[in-house]
Amino acid sequence: MAARFSATRPSMSIALDQVTKRYQDQPVVNDVSIEVGEGEFFVLLGPSGSGKSTLLRAIAGLTGIDHGRISLHGRDVTHVRARDRGVGLVFQNYALFRHMTVADNIEFALRVRRMKRAERVARRKELLKLVALEGLDERMPGQLSGGQQQRVAVARALAHKPQVLLLDEPFGALDAKIREELRRTIRAVQRELGITTVLVTHDQEEAFALADTIGVMNHGRLLEVGHPHDLYAQPATRFVATFLGAANLLLARQSAEGIRFGATPVTAEASEPMYAGREHEVVAVLRPEEVELAETREQLSSNFIARGAVEEIAFTGALERLRVRLLDEPCAAQLLGSGNAAEARVEVTRTQPERRELPLRAGTQVALGARRLHVLPTPISSFLACAPTEAEAEELAREPLLEGLSTRMKTRVGLRVIDVEETPAPFAGVAAIAGGDNAVATVEWLLRHGAAEVLVLPRNASSPSRVYIHWSDEAVRRATLAVSASLLRHVTAEAVYLGIVPEGSPVAGRAAPMRKLLDARVEAQQRHGLEMRTELAIGEAVTEITRNLSTGSAQMLVLGITDITQAANAYRSLLAAQPGWPVLIVFRQPHVGLRAAEYAA
Amino acid sequence: MKVGQREPNVIPGFGITLGFTTFFLCVIVLIPLAALVLKAGGMDFSRFIEVITSPRALASYRLSFGAAMVAAGVNMVFGFALAWTLVRYDFPGRQFVDAIIDMPFALPTAVSGIALTAVFAGNGWIGQYLEPLGIKVTYTWIGITVALTLIGMPFVVRTVQPALQEVQRDLEDAAETLGAGRFYVFRRIIVPTVLPALLTGFTLAFARAVGEYGSVIFIAGNMPMKTEITPLLIFIKLEEFDYAGAAALGCVMLAISFVMLLAINLLQVWGRKRMMVSR
Repeated sequence: MAARFSATRPSMSIALDQVTKRYQDQPVVNDVSIEVGEGEFFVLLGPSGSGKSTLLRAIAGLTGIDHGRISLHGRDVTHVRARDRGVGLVFQNYALFRHMTVADNIEFALRVRRMKRAERVARRKELLKLVALEGLDERMPGQLSGGQQQRVAVARALAHKPQVLLLDEPFGALDAKIREELRRTIRAVQRELGITTVLVTHDQEEAFALADTIGVMNHGRLLEVGHPHDLYAQPATRFVATFLGAANLLLARQSAEGIRFGATPVTAEASEPMYAGREHEVVAVLRPEEVELAETREQLSSNFIARGAVEEIAFTGALERLRVRLLDEPCAAQLLGSGNAAEARVEVTRTQPERRELPLRAGTQVALGARRLHVLPTPISSFLACAPTEAEAEELAREPLLEGLSTRMKTRVGLRVIDVEETPAPFAGVAAIAGGDNAVATVEWLLRHGAAEVLVLPRNASSPSRVYIHWSDEAVRRATLAVSASLLRHVTAEAVYLGIVPEGSPVAGRAAPMRKLLDARVEAQQRHGLEMRTELAIGEAVTEITRNLSTGSAQMLVLGITDITQAANAYRSLLAAQPGWPVLIVFRQPHVGLRAAEYAA
Repeated sequence: MKVGQREPNVIPGFGITLGFTTFFLCVIVLIPLAALVLKAGGMDFSRFIEVITSPRALASYRLSFGAAMVAAGVNMVFGFALAWTLVRYDFPGRQFVDAIIDMPFALPTAVSGIALTAVFAGNGWIGQYLEPLGIKVTYTWIGITVALTLIGMPFVVRTVQPALQEVQRDLEDAAETLGAGRFYVFRRIIVPTVLPALLTGFTLAFARAVGEYGSVIFIAGNMPMKTEITPLLIFIKLEEFDYAGAAALGCVMLAISFVMLLAINLLQVWGRKRMMVSR
């Protein structure tokens, strides 16, 4: 059963609480919670198919939702019809009534409400003035340009004084110049009326130009919400980093001493290390405009990251765009590309003064420096396919789930041949192994030799539609939630936390698991923006987990553990199951290097 | 009016196409019609008036055009409903229903006439239930209308269907967010948008019904003054070797049909201009 939190404050204009919409069992909007303040201009940004338009239609009441609550100005409208919600909606293709004049279009909502003629006319004149279309009352929509038609649509949507204005890609069908003009009009109208507005777009420039707050969506999930500048400067996820403007993603290593690329230490903005005390791999964001180019390393005024060769130069007016191939040197940074890592290039933009200072041509070798680096708080940096032979490792790397995850996460899959007789080199990233009879032993061996996360992959596992999350010990809660959140941002799956109460425990003792369950949910929501459902099962852990995993196809488990031996014994049957489920094991040793804060709560 | 190309076209041959169009129209349509008028002109004027205004002829015009009008009207309503169902809903057997719509096109009209008579006769499947209610279908104008409805139905469905498909859901959604109820949306948004197509369908169904002969004669009973349609009257004249009389009646049908079709066409042009369908 899902616990409900209704912390909706009355000043909130739009409040979405765990809104979920499924089409044919696939969630298109997945547990989205948003609060939009009075008079705020909120932009929902995402690629096509991210569920942003569906969410907008759900707010308008044109699409029913399967789960969750929608309130407008404190009124629960989840089950209120669109026409009674008091919203104004503007469509990408204008959706004007072509058999009516501009006047009749604008007055439509007023006629429906049987407003008197004189009032109607006065309101219409007022609206036409607002969108700068005075005098066009008697035109037919077909006689107007696209920009004018969209202005009429905006006027029409505002006629009945809605409390909320919703815009669905309103500039999509317009050319660049008119787009900008209309953008300014809409911003001005919104400011003048102080109306709470939600705009849906896939254009980040548009989002920056209009938004007070941006919410970024992908795969039906709301990834991050924030002020445009904060999201650009300090994204929390790979997707937001690369979708909001261009970004170079680099693999770095973080330890108590700081961040380093290969052997080169650099200064970078980073949140607190994920695992204190032990060095681990992280993903750093380097914006193209933050890259400094110089002839030699000594001439750089910022942190050196690597040497590279200029491959491509393009002039784009105000800026010069370069693509630089990194030279393969041991001290160099490793670049994460969305496709083949070997073909990844560092993108650089330079202003004209910068260009004049150091004119470059294709083929020139340069030193690259990072003026500003931002380390993502994501615990999944890369994958490492581990198998006894090279061929098996390669095959494992081609597994659809692993390949899909690495592509979506814009990260790479390394290969590692493992030999249980030898002491391996340190592991970086999530180790992936094949499921089956040997899985338990291999997991045990990997964890004992320093791997922190192990993904057990059955053959041909597909992308999960539901991910169960469970941990055996509260000490590993934070890490498990962080890893789960990182995983769930990249798949269209719903998250379910599975809390288990041992059978036969006294009824009074069940309050504690319930409280833990609620705490977990709050932490997931506040720290990671991850909405998860919670289920409480009574019984023995492995039995209950197995039972839940068996309820549907395409399910996956994230399992947090603290004790290798105990876990290996407890979960043996789960890991050895055939064909089995993908299981991502998150291991943290509570005794070593964990700060007191991680024990708390 | 300026004759010629409106603007240079990549495909040449305006002369050829216009010539072919004219030739084709002449051979297939205009010359036979002219022959008809000439034939009718062969009789003297008072005789002509006498033939076309005889009580039997007048009764047949009323029946022919009246029944065709009612049938086209019925088709407009139910054809719209059919098209709506086919466009808006997905249900098992939709493809099947869609295919059945065209059946009246393919069926020889005599076959549908016989089938209808069998079903609606006093002892037929449907007729046996209508008879006790005092409703006689066969051998009355109701039967004629039923037959004309059957053969006209596909015209309405097939013209309205594409128009309905084009009505964007966004329009209805927009109207709904503006506060309109479903019926209001239907009346103010959907109907006006498909009205031109609906009128075209009506015209086609009407034109087809006026000229229908095969299916009607079986169900009509063909009693002079009561259930005798004009095309049948013409046929009877022909059998009596009264070619001029038949031609005279033909001319009247031609004139009335032409005037009605022209009127509806003009109405549509006016409607389209008002809509400025210049996407």
